[in-house]
Amino acid sequence: MPQLQHEARALLEQGKVDYILGFEPGTLKFSTTPLITKNKEDCARLVVNPFIANNLSVYLPKLKGRLGIVVKGCDSRSVVSLIQDNKVARDRVVIIGVPCAGIIDLDKIEQLVSRERDEIDDIVRQGDRVAITLGNGKKEFPLVSVLADNCLACETPIPKECDILLDPTDTLVTDPSAGQQRIQEVESKSVEERWAFWEKQFERCIRCYACRSVCPVCFCERCFAEETEPQWVSPAPHWQDNMSFQIIRSLHVAGRCTDCGNCERACPVNIPLRSLSKKMVDLVDELFDYKAGTDKSALPLMASYEADEAEGVFR
Amino acid sequence: MFKKIGHSEIAKLLSEWSKESTVLVPTRADGVTTWAKWDGRDVSFLDWYRNTVVPPKSFLLPMLEEMFRFQKGKDGYSLELPPSDGRKQVIFGIRPCDARALAIIDLVFREGYEDLYYVNRRNNTTLVGLACTSPYDSCFCTSLGSGPGDARGVDLMLTTAGDQLLIEEVTDKGKELTAGASGLGKAAEADLISAREAVELASRKVTRQVDLKDTDKALLANFEKAEFWEDIAAKCVSCGICTFLCPTCYCFDINDEMDRQGGARVKSWDSCQFALYTRMPMENPRVEKWRRVRQKVSHKFLFYPLSYETTGCVGCGRCIRRCPVNWDITQVLNSLTAKVA
Ligand code: SF4
Ligand code: SF4
Ligand code: SF4
Repeated sequence: MPQLQHEARALLEQGKVDYILGFEPGTLKFSTTPLITKNKEDCARLVVNPFIANNLSVYLPKLKGRLGIVVKGCDSRSVVSLIQDNKVARDRVVIIGVPCAGIIDLDKIEQLVSRERDEIDDIVRQGDRVAITLGNGKKEFPLVSVLADNCLACETPIPKECDILLDPTDTLVTDPSAGQQRIQEVESKSVEERWAFWEKQFERCIRCYACRSVCPVCFCERCFAEETEPQWVSPAPHWQDNMSFQIIRSLHVAGRCTDCGNCERACPVNIPLRSLSKKMVDLVDELFDYKAGTDKSALPLMASYEADEAEGVFR
Repeated sequence: MFKKIGHSEIAKLLSEWSKESTVLVPTRADGVTTWAKWDGRDVSFLDWYRNTVVPPKSFLLPMLEEMFRFQKGKDGYSLELPPSDGRKQVIFGIRPCDARALAIIDLVFREGYEDLYYVNRRNNTTLVGLACTSPYDSCFCTSLGSGPGDARGVDLMLTTAGDQLLIEEVTDKGKELTAGASGLGKAAEADLISAREAVELASRKVTRQVDLKDTDKALLANFEKAEFWEDIAAKCVSCGICTFLCPTCYCFDINDEMDRQGGARVKSWDSCQFALYTRMPMENPRVEKWRRVRQKVSHKFLFYPLSYETTGCVGCGRCIRRCPVNWDITQVLNSLTAKVA
């Protein structure tokens, strides 16, 4: 029995947890789906593969009891961030760490082979390459050309805060400058061009709030976007309000966002949200020398204040 | 009646229609497929288009629309309706599922109650269907009594027949578009056969299936069982993707956007999956996620069949393709009946 299935089953059997949160194969090609279960038999369906994209810590604040959760590097930092924010107690979670070898970005694969994911027969990772099968043909690409941007930029693929660390299956190949490329493209624009760029992006936002729903650190029970007194943004999807919503959200997740990439991945209309969220991660690091979710006993960035901080920041 | 047209003649046909109507075609921008006014040249969508992420309902029930403006005057408020946009629109290439979805929305906004904003647009809209040749692995229209060549919801139906497109004139509205149009030829028996074969081939590619025989019974029998629904809803994150992208979902919100002098009453998409949707001053009947998920499934597969003798789902598969956690309606439906059996 694979190690993860074994460990998870044991946790349930020994009564150490009430639920296991992991990934099982999804119903679409190359997909996985969250498995949230109390049943030890279900553990036989748990998988670890290059498609375990979701950040399962999003479920933690809402579930009761003791929770065994499967995390990648970025997700484990989200768990720590939730602990810092008192959203989940450390002794309520058993963290099962996956030494992450990177998530494959299916959008990139689709672009490389000019086929949609359901038309692709197979995607196999082999070390630092990936082989894609289309009918009788097979094409190989360097792994870095298909890994998600946030994985290319990842500094913490191996979960630090965890109770069980699984054996590595592969090693992550990073390429920080490639992971930063799309952000740099936006940054290199003039102010006017950048404004026009974001206007165009937010014109197509349908305000489905998927970006917020999948984000583990968007845990507010009532989001500012739904306040009516005062009304910060209109609930109607004018591009200006869509943009304001996302800018304010970026500020709210500052110091909590671990660049898991799930907001951008969830967006049904491909708004490059990571160009905001990762930029914020970089700013937080630069201005406050702070990396989200790396120290569970630290005060949350936005809950702490040092007198000499302000001048340099609020310009 | 049946006519046909060569691929190379399509641009000309669309140009002719563009004189009278706004012609909407599938487009792709920033990696997202949606609908936009035809640019007068490009028909390459005929090669890549399978279906759009954003459904064509957005041209009948816009994501955002001004219902009226109001202005404060000496003797109270004056209202002003938006300039009536009487312009006709042609949705070129709509898929059978999405056309059928509009027929389902008609039941609510045209037949039950007349929503003038919708009805006016609907009357000004002509649907030119395009039979599917490469359905997604998430499509399941054939389980819902439809299929890649279903012409029931459209005015004209185009089906691939070799290197031509067979045109079926389904309604009088459709005939108005073909009358006098250039480039159309008479279809021969062989074209009909070749089109039928193309549709059969496409139908065989729709492999996802649901068995709806006892679904309504199962939904009714388990309606009050919280645990049953908690299980089904466990991984749902309560975003609005499945409902906003669903071609039959029509729920909306109304807001007044104003300053001291006046403003506008705007209508925009809303979703039963949002906790705020049913929040009222005294209580919220659907605070828990499971109640909202139950609503989504029951509305489509229990309440619609009870009220209208149709499901409120057409099997387009959008909610499956775009769900960020792979909550799959077909898996849920099949598990429902399995649980009862
Ligand atoms: S997921 Fe995308 S479309 Fe939905 S609200 Fe967020 S930015 Fe807008
Ligand atoms: S803002 Fe986006 S990248 Fe950051 S933690 Fe939330 S979902 Fe992940
Ligand atoms: S419920 Fe899903 S499959 Fe059915 S019509 Fe709506 S989006 Fe399509």
